[in-house]
Amino acid sequence: MLRLECPNCGVRNTSEFRYGGEQNPRPTPSTEVADADWIRYLYERRNVMGVQIEWWYHRAGCGIWFLVERDRRSNIVARTWRWQPDGAAAAEGSHSP
Amino acid sequence: MSGRRLPAQTGESLDRGQPLEFRFDGHSYQGFAGDTVASALTAAGVNVVSRSFKYHRPRGLLCCAGHCPNCLVQIGDEPSVRSCKRALEAGMDVQPQNAWPSLDNDLLSLTEAASRFMPVGFYYKTFHRPRLLWPAFEHVLRNAAGLGVIDENTPEGDYDKQYLHADVVVVGGGPAGVSAAVAAVDEGARVLLIDENPELGGHLRYSRPDAVAHARIVDGQQRLLQSGGTILNDTAVVGWYEDHWLSAVRGNRLFKIRAGAVVVASGAFETPSVFAGNDHPGIMLGTAVQRLLHLYGVVPGHRAVVVTANDTGWAVAADLLAAGVNVAAVADERPQLPVGTDIEALQAAGVTLLPGSTIAAARGKSGVEEVTLVAVDGSSGSHVVRCDFVALSTTWVPSAELAYMAGARSCYDDELAEMRLDNLPDGLFLAGRVAGPCSAEQEWLQGARAGAAAAGNTDDLPIAASQDVQATARSSALVAAPDVGGDKRFVCLCEDVTDVDIETAIAEGFDRIELLKRYSTVGMGPCQGRMCGLNGIRLCAQGTGKSVQDTGRTTGRPPVTPVALGVLAGQKMEPVQLSAVHDWHVDQGARMMVAGLWMRPEHYGDAAAEVRAMRQTVGLIDVSPLGKLQLTGPGVAAMLERLYVNNWQDLRRGRVRYGIMCNDEGVVLDDGVCARLSDEQWYVSTTSTGASGALEWMEWWRQSGWGDGVHITDLTETHAAFNLAGPQSRALLQTQTDRDLSNDRFPYMRARRADVAGVPCLLLRIGFTGELGYEIHCPAGYGRYLWQRLIDAGADFGLRPFGVEAQRVLRLEKAHFIVGQDTDALTDPISADAAWAVHLDKDCDFLGRRALTRIATDGPRQRLVGFRTGRRADSLLEGLQIVQSDDRGKPQIIGWVSSCRFSPTLQETIGLCWLPAALAERSEATFHIHVDGRLEPARVHHGPFYDAEGARLRG
Repeated sequence: MLRLECPNCGVRNTSEFRYGGEQNPRPTPSTEVADADWIRYLYERRNVMGVQIEWWYHRAGCGIWFLVERDRRSNIVARTWRWQPDGAAAAEGSHSP
Repeated sequence: MSGRRLPAQTGESLDRGQPLEFRFDGHSYQGFAGDTVASALTAAGVNVVSRSFKYHRPRGLLCCAGHCPNCLVQIGDEPSVRSCKRALEAGMDVQPQNAWPSLDNDLLSLTEAASRFMPVGFYYKTFHRPRLLWPAFEHVLRNAAGLGVIDENTPEGDYDKQYLHADVVVVGGGPAGVSAAVAAVDEGARVLLIDENPELGGHLRYSRPDAVAHARIVDGQQRLLQSGGTILNDTAVVGWYEDHWLSAVRGNRLFKIRAGAVVVASGAFETPSVFAGNDHPGIMLGTAVQRLLHLYGVVPGHRAVVVTANDTGWAVAADLLAAGVNVAAVADERPQLPVGTDIEALQAAGVTLLPGSTIAAARGKSGVEEVTLVAVDGSSGSHVVRCDFVALSTTWVPSAELAYMAGARSCYDDELAEMRLDNLPDGLFLAGRVAGPCSAEQEWLQGARAGAAAAGNTDDLPIAASQDVQATARSSALVAAPDVGGDKRFVCLCEDVTDVDIETAIAEGFDRIELLKRYSTVGMGPCQGRMCGLNGIRLCAQGTGKSVQDTGRTTGRPPVTPVALGVLAGQKMEPVQLSAVHDWHVDQGARMMVAGLWMRPEHYGDAAAEVRAMRQTVGLIDVSPLGKLQLTGPGVAAMLERLYVNNWQDLRRGRVRYGIMCNDEGVVLDDGVCARLSDEQWYVSTTSTGASGALEWMEWWRQSGWGDGVHITDLTETHAAFNLAGPQSRALLQTQTDRDLSNDRFPYMRARRADVAGVPCLLLRIGFTGELGYEIHCPAGYGRYLWQRLIDAGADFGLRPFGVEAQRVLRLEKAHFIVGQDTDALTDPISADAAWAVHLDKDCDFLGRRALTRIATDGPRQRLVGFRTGRRADSLLEGLQIVQSDDRGKPQIIGWVSSCRFSPTLQETIGLCWLPAALAERSEATFHIHVDGRLEPARVHHGPFYDAEGARLRG
């Protein structure tokens, strides 16, 4: 069983966590986004064969939603971090999941 | 020597003072405590233990190490027991498997006469036509090819699991493993040593007694235990998973082990070679013979032929000679006889020694009687030698399943004729024979090195130099013995697959190793390729002209050894949450039901009476499973605006509002009421079954940008909640509180804090059931007390507790939908008749806005709507389909019933259903529900069925 490092609690078994899918920023304002972009947000997952930034939730622990950079081929996790408005996530043009 | 039991010797596992009686195939035998079932049978002269899977050929002991299928027996009600590993117990009733009517006289062995009609892959080719007869064929085949009998009357076993943690887990308790464990513990690591045998020692237990090596094991075990290490005996590690998560089984217990690092010191095992008649009882592996000799003091016969390709075979021959067995011949595949004391002893005894030779055929009736030994290069004539057993010591395979699962690559060493491992993942170390041939000294040194490295010592230890000692070859390079005709040449003993079958399958195009396995079934039996894996790969390589390395190997997956399903199932545990009032419900004879994670009272005996009591006087239901969240902070209203389709900014203090939460597809996720207790403090309830999902959803948005200063505290488990409802509810509640409950001071859809019976409570005046009612929330610790006080006080008011079933009826009479029952993963609130809750005009980009704007514009295609029948129609059930005849009179499904109950209040069957929007809009329109081929009429009904104006709620 894979382990993940919770930003609050440290390294724990993945059975304590819930996977939240790839990071998928919500385009805003929703009513003005082009159809193609909205469809991509709602239905089209990138499903990369490689490094992905994804959400995890520490369900059986502290209740934090955090981001994980994981190589889906090897399951090697490069880093895990708490979402920050002006941090790494913001650099990708996102202020929401 | 006449019997097969040798005089007592040092190192044997027997307690000869304790004889044990047991039965096999209807006969009585005697063994000793410390015997396995198989060793006791061998000592008693039983050679045939089982019949083979396909041809029902007699089979005897082969590996004596728990790998091969030959010794599988039924013991009492337990099928497929490996008799070579199972300790003998007094009174055991052992039965052969796969033989009828008896082992000696198995009528199904006649199948072999028809073997030319059962070529490789026959079940893909035959018995399929005529189709009509397949069930009959299947019945016959299932009975003909089986592995024991499951007794359905067997009581359930007692299984459990245990979690273990260690810095270093060492798999294998032989010299390399013990050495690794000691080295790791010396480095200060928490060490867990796991061994499949009852005692440590590995191959030292049965191979040549070596005083130095034995002393090291004993000393190592002591040091390990003194330093806080743990040893698990009789435990098989069956799986490796990511981040060194191991599964292991001992008896009825499953261990789940988290290791910092793993040392695989699981050794190597022998496999048989391919020659004519190689499955005759009496043909066994050299290590099997040594186990019988040294652990159980048993010889498998009196006249032996030893076939080898390495020095270990000579040790077997010399040991047999020393045990008084007549060794008829020793054939060594190598062109030159090696030099050593073993050979000198055999030469002195006048044993026929044949260098450059191997076995080509074995013959006999129920066991081997004579063998043909031939020159490997075909240069000289053959020798026919009479014997009653054969020891094969030709091929070694590293026991590397765990390393493969962990991602190690196999690479075939053509010089050694063995698989080696490379590309080991981080934190996985090999030591001893699993890493390749090595001497006793090398095993010890490799173990120490691996153990220290696993414990984090990365120093270049001086003993590393010992790795450079030239390893000696130990395996045969022959793919199969020279063909001298005669009997079948088996590759896979589990599934009776021969070398001809493999060749045929390759000729038919199944020339990749994974395809070949699936088509021919080679390696798919109980041994999972342990006995036949390498031979299958070599034959495939030979048949395709590829190298063994390029042929590759089939993917190894857990479990390494068979695991009983009960071990995986574990204890029967279905954890449920219990409300603070649970015991009271049970004491009152409530019929309890599982609802989501909770146990809830379905009813207390008469749900209809509970409905009537609530409508006429007052009822009380435990709604503690409701999701209960406290939201605080300046940004709560703004966050709720974004999460819910409703307006929240305008909700004033002390007020309650019903809300619906959607996702961006406009699909209803959850609903509940939100109360604004103060400007910055809100109390939010969610559905009972969706409580955790709703919290996770809200937390996600809160923690990723929408939670400006908001805190969410989950009170679901810390607070109890009751709904006191009915015309008398106010009067009853007023007796327990000083808070003025009059309609002016505490109107409908308001929240008030109040002490009720001295308990601090939050009261919500809401009405899911359609009557005047109060939802009472209090800390769970007061729950039982408060419930009892309300019940006691309710006696004067005709109070009756009610359960989930009555609540379902009551809310249906009000036409309230239940999320998850009347809605599904495609339901939007507009279609679900809750468009009034959706505020598309609010000044906020809320979740679902875009989708709901579109639905509001286009109009829904299906709508949730009420229906009534005007009668009692108990045949109408939830989930039934609503049909309509099309133009040609063919019935089409146009909708379905999502809720349906007989209403005791209205004295008719009512429900909620999904209908095409055009039909749903027509009040009183008749439609038909399909019930077992009949059509039951029903009429569309708009709005609540009961008290449509809501006067009772507000009064």
